[in-house]
Amino acid sequence: MSRPLGTLDPSAETAPRAAGGRAPDVFSREGWVPMRCFRDEDEVDFAVIGTGAGGGVLAARLAEAGFSVVALDAGPFWRPLADFASDEREQDKLYWSEERLSTGGDPLQFGSNNSGRAVGGSTVHFQMVTLRFRPEWFRARSDLGYARDWPVDPDAMWRYYAEVEAELGIAGPVRYPWGPRRGRYPYRPHEVNAAGHVLARGAEAVGIDWSPTPLATVSAPRGKAPPCVYRGFCKIGCSTNAKQSVLNTFIPRALAAGAEVRDLAMVGRIETDRTGRATGLHYHRGGRWRFQRARAVAVAGYSIETPRLLLNSAGPAHPDGIANAEGLVGRHLMPHVNDAVWGVMDEEIRWYKGPPSMAVSEHWNYTDDHPSKDFPGGYAFMSQGPMPADFATSLVSNTGMFGQALRNRMALYNNMAGLKSVGEVLPDPDNRVELAEERDALGLPLARVTFSYGEEDRALSRHARAFQREVLEAAGARDLFETTGTAHLMGGCAMGATPSEGVVDGDGRAWSCPNLWVCDGSAMPTGGGVNPALTIMANAARIADTIIAERAPDRRG
Amino acid sequence: MSPAAAPPVPSRSAPVEGYRPLAQATLVLAGAAGLVALGALLPRLARRARPAPAPAARLRRGAAVLSASVLADSATEHYRGSYHHRAMFAAPAMAGATLASLGPGTGGPGVRRATQRSAIATGLAGNLFHLRNAMRRPGAPSWETLFYAAPLGAPGALAMAGIGGLVASGLEQAPPGGETARRLGRRLALGTSAGLAATSAEAALLHFRGAFHAPAMWLPVTLPPVAALALAGAAWRPGERGIGRARGLLRATAAMGLLGMAFHARGVARNMGGWRNWSQNLQVAPPMPAPPAFAGVALGGLAALDLMEAP
Amino acid sequence: MTRYPGYDVLAKRDTPSWDEATRRVVDARLAGPAARPVLEERDYRTLAALCDAVVPQPDRAEPIPVAPVVEAAIAEDRTTGTRFEGLPTMREAWGRGLAALEAEARLRHGTAFADLTPETREALLHAVDAEEVEAPEWDGLAPRRLFRDVMADEILRVYFAHPAAWSEIGFGGPASPRGYVRLGAGRRDAWEAPFAPPPDGGER
Repeated sequence: MSRPLGTLDPSAETAPRAAGGRAPDVFSREGWVPMRCFRDEDEVDFAVIGTGAGGGVLAARLAEAGFSVVALDAGPFWRPLADFASDEREQDKLYWSEERLSTGGDPLQFGSNNSGRAVGGSTVHFQMVTLRFRPEWFRARSDLGYARDWPVDPDAMWRYYAEVEAELGIAGPVRYPWGPRRGRYPYRPHEVNAAGHVLARGAEAVGIDWSPTPLATVSAPRGKAPPCVYRGFCKIGCSTNAKQSVLNTFIPRALAAGAEVRDLAMVGRIETDRTGRATGLHYHRGGRWRFQRARAVAVAGYSIETPRLLLNSAGPAHPDGIANAEGLVGRHLMPHVNDAVWGVMDEEIRWYKGPPSMAVSEHWNYTDDHPSKDFPGGYAFMSQGPMPADFATSLVSNTGMFGQALRNRMALYNNMAGLKSVGEVLPDPDNRVELAEERDALGLPLARVTFSYGEEDRALSRHARAFQREVLEAAGARDLFETTGTAHLMGGCAMGATPSEGVVDGDGRAWSCPNLWVCDGSAMPTGGGVNPALTIMANAARIADTIIAERAPDRRG
Repeated sequence: MSPAAAPPVPSRSAPVEGYRPLAQATLVLAGAAGLVALGALLPRLARRARPAPAPAARLRRGAAVLSASVLADSATEHYRGSYHHRAMFAAPAMAGATLASLGPGTGGPGVRRATQRSAIATGLAGNLFHLRNAMRRPGAPSWETLFYAAPLGAPGALAMAGIGGLVASGLEQAPPGGETARRLGRRLALGTSAGLAATSAEAALLHFRGAFHAPAMWLPVTLPPVAALALAGAAWRPGERGIGRARGLLRATAAMGLLGMAFHARGVARNMGGWRNWSQNLQVAPPMPAPPAFAGVALGGLAALDLMEAP
Repeated sequence: MTRYPGYDVLAKRDTPSWDEATRRVVDARLAGPAARPVLEERDYRTLAALCDAVVPQPDRAEPIPVAPVVEAAIAEDRTTGTRFEGLPTMREAWGRGLAALEAEARLRHGTAFADLTPETREALLHAVDAEEVEAPEWDGLAPRRLFRDVMADEILRVYFAHPAAWSEIGFGGPASPRGYVRLGAGRRDAWEAPFAPPPDGGER
């Protein structure tokens, strides 16, 4: 273990802050808000594991509907104004830095690439890109002939997208060029920076649509959040609260509605009884293992930790781990193709200014019939604005460039522009999370993650690189070079219409454990060609509403 | 032990700017308020020097407030645009000259008239410059262009100030009476009403950009159009009641313009870093000099009503 | 060699571009890491030479200290969240990797890695990156992964965590509460680096 990673308030990473009837006030430097607290022996209605895009939304909605909720997160409870520095290295404290074993033909990178470890989860460091799925993707198999369908109503998802967009105050374009009509975004789009205009000019030159990116950072004041100042450190944590993360939106709501949020609480095992029902969970907090009783459990630890926890929770009725009767837990793990093309512009772009991805094209998400399209699914691509160390390390990791050559390349940092794809990877049962023999400091088995691209994924990645190259060249960039990589995680405990197709049903409830839900990115049957955060949130809101409709406390007998 | 000693601490250079936030903020606030006050007072001084009939003085004062607003607003906005085109200096320079031309005893009547005519020309040319700037941006025409490119209609305010000044001078040179005054008043009322509508349209666009996040933001997009309608209505069918109603609404619009400045000052404070971060927030927060433009135009409308009531 | 001579992000330390949190973090960094030596003298020399090869600083009178900070990170067992197959834990990977570099240098050139000329050192690292290694010490270490994703990765993160590196490339540096106003191409705020001369043809 290597905590604490930060130097500002190391104790926040080792001693719980949310305790004793109060939780940090995220809009203050050192203030508190009152928090209802439960005892371990209280049988709460819902224990929610993870407080990110899935768990945070679920906890807020359930608490507001009157359920008693305890939400546990392995990470610290930050106050952005005081705890976040404008510094890449300090902000390493936002990531899940505990090791996972990575293997396969194209082993994945974790940590800063896709895994947050904080109350608010990965939304604390996400790039705020909040795109909706193309509606047909929810019926990819039926309507588009690839991958699989979601066991959900696409129209319902469309409605929940609008709901969570309103709840986040998304700043988006007045007219969005792709897909069916959508209502107006609650906030207007931000001024597109120079890096975004490179994409715009390239797109216009090759004759495709582009748009200002819908972003979860406000363009005008919203409650206690000031408008974005375009400081550009979004990916390592917003120190102004302009970013609408789960930490400063749904978590305060959950607390106000009477949920308890426990930071630095690592859940190690879910307990089940002889009949297979979950009875509570074992979690490590404050230096010791504890047990929280619960009538129902919702797991929202994202695509690695959710399967890891279920697999590690074998019980009398679940010999291979909870909800794993069909052996599907951990399978169908998907990242996104994140290949990029970079180049040098004559004018200074200074891409460090503003959110990293202010312009987007979803052209290839909505284009099915084109002679060059030799892959199923689609991809979006976005303008870029990496921080110095992030960019330098991606250079060496991809090209092996180092020494004077690397310093020369970095000297052109202010003239660089780039386009990066978010491309759909098809679900493959062999891409999976398993438990390793090796154990961590708490005695929990490490996750071993296997990933290899399939042929279709490779075709998409080739297409994305070639097309982005064309656009970037058309925008006037020279000395082009490419990087490859993945971003985001989806799947691992997918929803399915039947027990043989998924770990949970369309409402997120485990097929083989009636009081256990999965409510995060791991429940996604397919990944689509857009950043997953908004879809995870919309799906969580939908799952919450099905739970409320069925089991609201006032309707229970 | 590591062979390397502790790394040397690089010497820290002196801060780039002497930094006294409160002093700076106070200075800027005082400056903005002073400009507007100057705009309002100059004509009064002028009147003291050379007594003029009430409508002319009012119109002159309106034109002065408007040009003061343009001066401060265009100076800030064009600074934000780095004055990357030399023509961008023309806006604050002409607004300043116009403001001076409305003051007491600066130059002869010929110089004043020439200045005010140039302001009209500069304002209209500015509209074209802004249009060209907007159309050059990727995605134009689009809402985003309207939000973030040079505002298409804004330079028109300078032209309005010029027109106001010219008409005021005309009134002072040869004060009209009776039917001539009333006819002039009606024409001025229609023109002012259009100006009020245009100013309100710009506020609507920018407040839409701000998602009308505060209820008060609806005020400048509702009150001025109503005032403009009342004013136009009074011009169309002059009558005591219509004129009275228009006068009340115009006074309210003028007050709203001054109140708007306070709201915008609060907007600066509400942005990240508040007044301490003035070097950013005075550029990006709601523009403090903009709302008084409503007061300037409304004064023009009141002058028109005065004329319409000429015996 | 910087395109931004005279630009120093530290000059902004006492302006609204830096908040208290950032000042504390960067001040502590400039004061240097608390000494936590974990490496043998020989390994430290190899590490220092490796850092110098990954980010050579012949142009700096006061080079950015990299090796001591990397050593501190090794001491803290600062992990990144990923352990690729074929690599041991972070600390072990560093220890064995430095030893393998040393062994490779002795095998090929009969001398310590730290005593190689910069050119030879660079060539040797390119060979490691191409997985063309001969020393048995590489057994069980994926050389390219180790070099790129463990060693060079950490070295570059340390180098680009230093304000002098930010100034060198014209990066705006810390920006909170004050961010930026002028976002367009070829535009800069008064508190940014002056423009550099346009890049020549790059390094084609």
